[in-house]
Amino acid sequence: MYRLSICHLYPDLLNLYGDYGNIQALKKRMEWRGIEASVCQVSLGDRFSPSDYDIVFIGGGQDYEQSILYADLIENKKEGITEAVENGVVFLCICGGFQLMGLYYKPPRGEEIPCLGIMDHWTIGNEKRLVGNLIFSIEGLNQEPNGYIVGFENHSGKTYLGERGKPLGKVIYGFGNNGEDGYEGARYKNVFCSYSHGSLLPKNPALADELITLALKRKYSDFVSLQPLDDHLEAKARKSIISRYIRK
Amino acid sequence: MKRIINVIRLRVAVIAAKAAIFLLRLAGSGGTSFPGKLAIKIYPGILSELSRKYRIFMITGTNGKTTTAKIIAEILKENGISYVANKSGANLVSGIAACLISDIKMNLMPRSNTALLEVDEAAFRVATETVKPAAVVVTNFFRDQLDRYGELYDTLRSVRDGISHIPDATLILNADDSLCASLGNNVSNPVIYYGLNEQAVFPVQEQDPALNHDAAFCLYCKTKYQYKSRFYGHLGHYTCPGCGYSRPEALVNIEKITVLSGDFSAVIFNTPSGKFSAQINLPGLYNVYNALAAAAFAETLGFSHEKTVYALSSFESGFGRMESIPIGDRTIQVILIKNPVGFSQVINFLLSVENTSVISFIINDNLADGTDVSWLWDVELEVLADIQDRVSTFFVSGTRADDMAVRLKYAGIYSNRITIENDKGAMLDAALNMLKPGETLYILPTYTAMLDIRKTLEKRYKLKYFWQ
Repeated sequence: MYRLSICHLYPDLLNLYGDYGNIQALKKRMEWRGIEASVCQVSLGDRFSPSDYDIVFIGGGQDYEQSILYADLIENKKEGITEAVENGVVFLCICGGFQLMGLYYKPPRGEEIPCLGIMDHWTIGNEKRLVGNLIFSIEGLNQEPNGYIVGFENHSGKTYLGERGKPLGKVIYGFGNNGEDGYEGARYKNVFCSYSHGSLLPKNPALADELITLALKRKYSDFVSLQPLDDHLEAKARKSIISRYIRK
Repeated sequence: MKRIINVIRLRVAVIAAKAAIFLLRLAGSGGTSFPGKLAIKIYPGILSELSRKYRIFMITGTNGKTTTAKIIAEILKENGISYVANKSGANLVSGIAACLISDIKMNLMPRSNTALLEVDEAAFRVATETVKPAAVVVTNFFRDQLDRYGELYDTLRSVRDGISHIPDATLILNADDSLCASLGNNVSNPVIYYGLNEQAVFPVQEQDPALNHDAAFCLYCKTKYQYKSRFYGHLGHYTCPGCGYSRPEALVNIEKITVLSGDFSAVIFNTPSGKFSAQINLPGLYNVYNALAAAAFAETLGFSHEKTVYALSSFESGFGRMESIPIGDRTIQVILIKNPVGFSQVINFLLSVENTSVISFIINDNLADGTDVSWLWDVELEVLADIQDRVSTFFVSGTRADDMAVRLKYAGIYSNRITIENDKGAMLDAALNMLKPGETLYILPTYTAMLDIRKTLEKRYKLKYFWQ
């Protein structure tokens, strides 16, 4: 029996609007296929051991909660997280989690806050929030139609990719990273970053399965591919949003 | 000269708004914000001028405003106080203006001497610039529609700013909510706290204590709170080990909840004026808090226990809030859902009902509902899987029916138990057909879905219009 261990980082601080749905989607889609999933919560004061987890999830938080964890992140976890990323552990980082993987966050007032510096992007805080439904496409993702991903974004930070930064996808509808360059999220090794919070994985099962596949391939040399599941409810939810915003 | 012009503008504004209210009713619309907007446009000083003619009580906070206001209204009525109250949903500045205008006679004199105002927590700061209440009841702070209200701490700050406009108002605050209770710190206002006794109810062990916790960390020093007992969400007996901030002692408290059933609750109050038992004519722990807030209000005003007890046992629930509609030998119950903690509490209530039969979720994503439906993932729906044998079908409807279907699937509900029906009439027919005599159809709508389904039900079953 295959087993994967999921780490939920700072679940008591970064749990904004439905982040739990991503964990639940990973867990259920493994369970339905007979793959054992365990979820560990790692928070303030805990050490992050890079070899303990196959998938790491970092969500978003309100500004107040995020301000609590910066010191702990740099002191207790930076080294471990960096090592895990370089070793190909699968990461899903949403919103605040996405920003934390980058170089720094510059709030609207006050000084730049250094982040993990694992990926080449940075974020500038704004007074105006970018809020709304978000549709973007991931090249090569086997999800109908056209590899489109459907989600919802709500962020005041505008994120910009540096020279070595690669986007996760291209914005089809909505703002994405900054509402300017048409990019959404970031990608590095097995790290997936996005501004699409909440129901990202449940409604986009191809992406959930991609994360599970990468993690299983990394851990088990005999693993080939996942069994397909009946995803008609997920597809319907996705398509109803796509048809609302995009004319054929 | 300026004074005369202002009196004329005031009269014109009142007449125009009254005409608008009349015409809207004639057209069968419950529209409640337009007349107020019109009046403010004609005479911006109208609210400050009219509100001075009343003794004002305000109710604000995230959850329970409408129900608490309903109970307080019943208490005022029992005590023979004539009052005017704004209608549910008309809780922005324009709605408050419309409410007072409807009570003002043509000679600009008020019919009632008291105004009971439910105020949206985001509108509270602006409302208190002109309207000066004698007392304010604050229910609680939970994360709400982030796309509309912004972050929770911003809402709290804005209510705090509002309080700075009204240094004389008595604050009636929830001691069990660390955010709400903090409003009583460093202010000159008289403060009355209410709360549940540590052993009032068996503290609920939530599935995952780390999640769905809106205020786990101290508001002052960011240390994680320790809880002696926690009732739901972040409500409970908290202490900060960092700076010592802790739950203030509650003057009005519930010593014991003796019954928490699917129909009602029974409690023992302990107040400075004595102990007494009461039955609360609404089920659910969150309604115990609403009743407690109202009892604290009654205590503040020095009302007798007998009248409060009578009011608690006899009031009728607010529009779309646990409203029961008998359809022959079957019942429809409409329960508004609007944010994760409120929704989770409704689910807990459904678990306590023994013969649940059909549950219908109507999820919209209009502006008043919140355009972001990710909050559905913050609701502890997994517990529904345990009772799915008692539920013949989970209907989902509304503009985000499909999202709700996916949410239920990942909560562990079998896909063949989930029926997507976008037509509300057809959903009602199908659901009522499934009910056996004596059974209940529970409809859980978001705000605009509630207005919508209420309209359908009004037409079908000749219910009262809500502005009456």
